[in-house]
Amino acid sequence: MTSVTSSHPAQGLDEVVHQRVRLGILTIAHEARRVEFGYLRTHLDLTAGNLSKHLSVLEAAGLIAVEKGYEGRRGRTWITLTPAGTTALTDEIARLKQLIARVETPTTTTDR
Amino acid sequence: MTTNSIPADGDPRRLLADARALARQVRIDQRMTWAALLVLGTTTLLAIPFDWFGMQVDCHPDGGCTFTRQGMLYYWPAAMVLAYTAIAVSYLRAARARGIGARVLPYAITGAVTTVVFPAAWLAVHLYFQSHPYPDSPLPYGLLVLDRLVMPWGLIGVALLVLAWLERNLALLLFTAGYLALVLLALPMNSGFGPPHFGLRAGMAVPQLIAGLVLLLGAAAFARAARRR
Repeated sequence: MTSVTSSHPAQGLDEVVHQRVRLGILTIAHEARRVEFGYLRTHLDLTAGNLSKHLSVLEAAGLIAVEKGYEGRRGRTWITLTPAGTTALTDEIARLKQLIARVETPTTTTDR
Repeated sequence: MTTNSIPADGDPRRLLADARALARQVRIDQRMTWAALLVLGTTTLLAIPFDWFGMQVDCHPDGGCTFTRQGMLYYWPAAMVLAYTAIAVSYLRAARARGIGARVLPYAITGAVTTVVFPAAWLAVHLYFQSHPYPDSPLPYGLLVLDRLVMPWGLIGVALLVLAWLERNLALLLFTAGYLALVLLALPMNSGFGPPHFGLRAGMAVPQLIAGLVLLLGAAAFARAARRR
């Protein structure tokens, strides 16, 4: 058996965030401060329905805030990251780096 | 077991690489580097007539002249506020049109601080020389460079450094390093230069003209690069 003293980074992964599209939404919203629905759809290469489903998951988890409004006659949906979303993104990136480091570092523990 | 199965979609390397690529794309979409350089270059060139006509020159019988660049003091603080406001607004409008927000607060703060630094430095020097004699020998090189740094052209370079950091823009960082080397180390912004028949006013205008043109050339180069993208 391999002795493990600390938990594996994968055990701390948040299932809501640990997904390509949702991580992408959080990353863009973090970098842009505020992002429009159409920008996300274009850059994540998604259909409107698919993007809406992912946004609903993130909004239900309290990671993003969705604001609907108008610019002239055109409806616009703006997405912003909540403080919980910022924390979730930071944690996810840290976990991913830990996972990669763990894979790339030669194993030092010995089987007994 | 210490290994958890991770779906292909959740491959950590791919997820991290995708996230970094998206963040980089957003930063590129937020950039309006050419607009910032265009505004700052135009502001620099517009300063020349203010400096020319606002300069008070007193020549003494011994042939020596003293001068005060009052025009700069009246022009630059207001021009800097207007220029940095115009740049911040253009960034916000362009980003909004593209469907994203923009980080302009650090740049606005830098603009506000640099706007205050120039008149504060001018006032400090003015007050100092009211109670101290003008030095007969040339100032040490380090002080000359410091003097150039707190002048509007040096402060423009400082603001561009902040912009390069905000945009994670290596090209702008390199351009700014070259610009700062020019206005701090090469061009005599605080004493002027040119052929002897140019006189003091024209001699002061030459380095300003060069600095302004460099900024405008930079604006043209960054605009061209943005169009290619």
